Amino acid sequence: MRNRSILAVAEHAQGRVKPSGYEVIACALRLESFRQLRVLVVLIGDQPEAPAREIFQRTGLDVIAVQTPGLASYNGEAHRAILTDLIAELDPACLCAAHSSQGADFAPGLAARVGAACITAVERISVDSDCVIFARGASGGKLVAELAATTRLAVITVQPGAFSADVDRRYPQGSIEFRTVNFEPHRSRALGFKPGATCDKGLSEARVIVAAGRGIGKQENLSLVQDLAAAFPRSAIGGSRPVCDMGWLEYKSQIGLTGATVSPQLYIACGISGSAQHVAGIRDAGFVVAINSDPNAAIFNVADLCIVEDLTTFIPTFLAELHRASETPTSKENGR
Amino acid sequence: MKLLACVKPVVDLETMSGPHYLGSGASSGGTTCYRINHFDEFALEEGLRIKEAFPGTTLDVITVAPQSAGSALTRGLGMGADRAIHILLEQEGYVSPSVVARLIARRVEGSGYDLILAGVMSEDDMHAQVGPMIAELLSMPVATAVLHQTPIDEGRAVYVEREIEGGEREVLELLLPAVLTVQTGINRPRYPSLSKCLRAKKELPETIHAAAQPAIAPTETLLRVTEPRKLRAGLRLEGAAEEKAASLLAILREKALIPEARHAQP
Ligand SMILES: Cc1cc2nc3c(=O)[nH]c(=O)nc-3n(C[C@H](O)[C@H](O)[C@H](O)COP(=O)(O)OP(=O)(O)OC[C@H]3O[C@@H](n4cnc5c(N)ncnc54)[C@H](O)[C@@H]3O)c2cc1C
Repeated sequence: MRNRSILAVAEHAQGRVKPSGYEVIACALRLESFRQLRVLVVLIGDQPEAPAREIFQRTGLDVIAVQTPGLASYNGEAHRAILTDLIAELDPACLCAAHSSQGADFAPGLAARVGAACITAVERISVDSDCVIFARGASGGKLVAELAATTRLAVITVQPGAFSADVDRRYPQGSIEFRTVNFEPHRSRALGFKPGATCDKGLSEARVIVAAGRGIGKQENLSLVQDLAAAFPRSAIGGSRPVCDMGWLEYKSQIGLTGATVSPQLYIACGISGSAQHVAGIRDAGFVVAINSDPNAAIFNVADLCIVEDLTTFIPTFLAELHRASETPTSKENGR
Repeated sequence: MKLLACVKPVVDLETMSGPHYLGSGASSGGTTCYRINHFDEFALEEGLRIKEAFPGTTLDVITVAPQSAGSALTRGLGMGADRAIHILLEQEGYVSPSVVARLIARRVEGSGYDLILAGVMSEDDMHAQVGPMIAELLSMPVATAVLHQTPIDEGRAVYVEREIEGGEREVLELLLPAVLTVQTGINRPRYPSLSKCLRAKKELPETIHAAAQPAIAPTETLLRVTEPRKLRAGLRLEGAAEEKAASLLAILREKALIPEARHAQP
């Protein structure tokens, strides 16, 4: 009997595979390593040839490139219809897609249509006595929920950054299959794109970023964050999404998945819970300090230094300490 | 137009201490305090704005939750929704989003809703599945992470902008009936009015006992809940606030992340 397959739906744009595409492939290969399965990469779009060749050359995996003439951009209806047909044809054990604006959009509906389990934002995969376990964040990242599918097929979306996009070549015998599907969306029509808020240049250039979360409590407390930032040269102020949603900061200051990705030498998170969407923007930060009154806050798992304190009192205390230290030189400083 | 907002009660963290599993209908021993999922307030508010802009529009609010979690419905009515529907779960604990979506779809099918709104995800389980699953089960088009919407074509379609990566927006048109999952920032949800809340407390919601319905097999099981892994050093500063402040300063200086004291600079 032929091995069942794992379909890895890879996103692409401008003829290139997106990094998330390789992360999805990496996740599929991880599943493959547990079971006698074979990975099949699926590309959908009006011009899938170049990305299909890119994947084939880089990985040697089997690729199915589904060309959808006239559908220049993502269409949820088309994705669900095409993947439903592929599932019916190939009977895969798992379908992996990115937990992106596309994957998160089509995967739940697809799963409902084909009667599959849907497990979103998967961060880790393990096997325990023949059961594949999908681990994913819950409660804003405070906890990890481990789920197992009870259906023949699992549709999963892969949390960005959870699997390394460094996929090496392993299968010299792969092939590319080109198909054309003419799909006319019936109930939705794409009208193009609109640019988002441009990221604050100050954020990308800052050496130090002090970021405010909902935990600052009220807009007036932003001044605390500003005072703290002022203690550092080349610093900037950033914020979590709710702080921007409430209009306390402009959207150009938002850090995270749907905001700016930053890489300062020092990131100080004030009253930020540490949701995956926020943390996605600070992975490359050098040193992360978190100030949060909740000892169990998820931000402490991604911080180098954890300070369990109320920021409204701790920031003034720290600034007073800074002031004191610069008034009364320490012995070390005396010796210079 | 006839609108429906789906809301989920989540455990109110502020009323509890220590790590708990906060998945749907958490079980923590003792009484669990629930509040509305923040993400759903944006969906409710968006529904209320359509209701205000288009005379004759009604907005219903629906939840799938145990008895103790009815406060999410009260919140919806308090904000201005017309009617509440409670699909009542017998007990607290994890419920698969596929089961929630099927329960809602069953109730909604044939009820003539033009637009079904939901939050982009829940704060506890964070599946982001119920909205798009309802759409599929009712053969409706769906747009997720919506940041702007306007009904067009005399209520036959809806113009939608949805958020994609990097804050960019994808623009599309959906024929109604449709489902939208609403992203935060689309509006500023209003506070419930006291008089509406008081009235809501008196009116009983339409109640459907999930247990009395044909059973729906969940598609996945929750095996266990664990603590996340530490991805960085995670050194905890100890002592009184002043001591922590001094340690923080010392560490930042040692790492040359903050300039040395002013007088010591050249
Ligand atoms: C598709 C999608 C994209 C998203 N993109 C982003 C994004 O780009 N960026 C982003 O930030 N979010 C994003 N989010 C939202 C994200 O899921 C979280 O809701 C958000 O990051 C939470 O922000 P927060 O940490 O400021 O607020 P909360 O989660 O409410 O956390 C507040 C924290 O402050 C602490 N606190 C409270 N009072 C005090 C005090 N006095 N002193 C110290 N600490 C205190 C609390 O303990 C808590 O940990 C996105 C969500 C979705 C669904």
